[in-house]
Amino acid sequence: MFDDSIALPSYLDHPPEVAEYFAEVQKRKVVLSIEHLGREFDSTDGPLVALSDVNFKVRQREFISVIGPSGCGKSTLIRIVAGLEDPSSGTVAVDGIPVTGPGADRGMVFQNYTLFPWLTVRKNVLFGPKMKGMRNDKANKAADEWLKLVGLADFADLYPAQLSGGMKQRVAIARALANDPRILLMDEPFGALDAQTRASMQNHLLRIWQAADVTVLFITHDLEEAIYLSDRIVVLGARPGRILEIIDVPVARPRSTEQFLSGHFLATKKRLEDLIHRCDSPLNEDGELLHV
Amino acid sequence: MSKPSKIAATGEPLARLLGVRKPLDARARFWVGVLAFALPFLSWCAVSYVPFIWHPQVLVSSAGDVKVPGEYSYVAEGDTIDLDVFVMRNRELSAAHAKLAEGKRVNPIYLQAPHEVARAMYTAFTTAPERTGDAWLHESLLQSCKVIFWGFFWSALFGVPLGVLCGTFPFFARLFEPFVDFVRYMPAPVFGALMVTMLGLADEPKIAIIFIGTFFQMVLIVSNTTRAVDASLLHAAQTLGANKRQLVWHVVVPGALPGLYRDMRILIGWAWTYLVVAELIGEKSGLSAFIYQQQRYRHFDNVYAAIVIIGVVGLCIDQFLAVLARYLFPWETGQTGLVRMMRAMRRAMPQRALVRT
Repeated sequence: MFDDSIALPSYLDHPPEVAEYFAEVQKRKVVLSIEHLGREFDSTDGPLVALSDVNFKVRQREFISVIGPSGCGKSTLIRIVAGLEDPSSGTVAVDGIPVTGPGADRGMVFQNYTLFPWLTVRKNVLFGPKMKGMRNDKANKAADEWLKLVGLADFADLYPAQLSGGMKQRVAIARALANDPRILLMDEPFGALDAQTRASMQNHLLRIWQAADVTVLFITHDLEEAIYLSDRIVVLGARPGRILEIIDVPVARPRSTEQFLSGHFLATKKRLEDLIHRCDSPLNEDGELLHV
Repeated sequence: MSKPSKIAATGEPLARLLGVRKPLDARARFWVGVLAFALPFLSWCAVSYVPFIWHPQVLVSSAGDVKVPGEYSYVAEGDTIDLDVFVMRNRELSAAHAKLAEGKRVNPIYLQAPHEVARAMYTAFTTAPERTGDAWLHESLLQSCKVIFWGFFWSALFGVPLGVLCGTFPFFARLFEPFVDFVRYMPAPVFGALMVTMLGLADEPKIAIIFIGTFFQMVLIVSNTTRAVDASLLHAAQTLGANKRQLVWHVVVPGALPGLYRDMRILIGWAWTYLVVAELIGEKSGLSAFIYQQQRYRHFDNVYAAIVIIGVVGLCIDQFLAVLARYLFPWETGQTGLVRMMRAMRRAMPQRALVRT
């Protein structure tokens, strides 16, 4: 519980450098636009609404997180953007071109690494360029550069099974980025890692994001992770999955772990907690827990 | 040596060997593996060489007083008779106060002692068959291996691609699997007569039986193994821009390969099972013909020799394939020797060969 005596700023109150940053972002090109997106599943109890009327835009080099309680459809959302699932209604467009299926313009990093176990680290990173028919020597050079950026240049000839979880996920990030996607989709990429590895991976990701020209759509259920990494946070509510609020994170960049205790950080965290807990345990009219 | 590890190493030996799901250490693994073969062999030796264990028959060395009449007076010198018959005869003889029959306890002819089988195995390879025109043991063995090879070759040539197709595209699974499942339940030997009529008396119908016996199982097993390839790998490849053909060749096939290899190892064992039936249709051939022939001559030592050889060949093939797998799939075993050798060879090749034109 927050002590009432601590005066937090409003999460809507942006420091000048943050306001300046958002003004600059607004001038950039829209990479991803999601309009009136809906997704229903058939279940034995009739149609189940996973997503309903989701709208937002992601601009060039923005880092957007999607957060929400389990069952809010955040994974469904990113899978639809990736083209791995079809929406029931609405559209997803990258650079104005509607998405009809999976494609190299939307690279994806999955929670369970999904590295090809039969390929060495370097060949995993080379997978995308090879599929495009890129020449070996050129692709090799690019792959080595990406591996250097994620700090795994010395492990290029190892197999994924010989790596730790954090290293595997860094390979997966390098593999997605080596393919030069317009947007990087990350579906709870650090969910399977322990706390320390997770923290170091967050720093790795921030460093990569700063070094490379990447736009990121990041799914997580970790509030601090979302605030620490993102420019904006899309908060989804459950049943039906819908946008509760899109929060512009009022924490200045470059980010550091000291900011975890800053007023703006805590205020944002409190707001996220309020939003998510409000819809975490849905109650029926009689105030009993609903079993879904 | 620190204390705790010493305690662990010298802990109760039985408790160490019989831990629930506790892997054996290297030495125990070796010796228990040796025991796996030593135990059956030792019991075989015990039954063969220790006279009071089993030995239910008597080889009569002297029939005693043959003039004494009785229900069992047919017992003659050189006969092998049941123990109780021998006892009854001697009871008759002792009632008549005549000379008793003598003999020594033996095992029935179908149980041969280890040294007899070993000798048979040696002589079968070194002496010509009894009847001219009969095959030598090594010829029979070679013949059997040939039939197995071709049967399995054709089966894998069609079965693996069809299985991969079914495991990859639900359309083909629906198109082929119901019928394959239907035929799978028909025992392969029932096609024997048909195959002989269609393909003649030589090797072809035998190869066909092995094909039928393994092909239909193979399609289903391969398609299941292919389906077991992690779907998220396919999703990852799609987000990396792989098209349909690339998904099959660069994800489904390499992903299923170690599993398919394991399947083939199991199925080749099935092929040996069908071999014995297959070789007895049409003109008998191979090891089964050898066994059949020797059984008619009542040369049971040779029968055992042939059976042991089938076991040894099977075990050798399986162990060879197991060792090979370690090098073929280094990502599963960490055995990168073969890969490193290939890389070194590629580096040693002239550079021009590397650039594809």
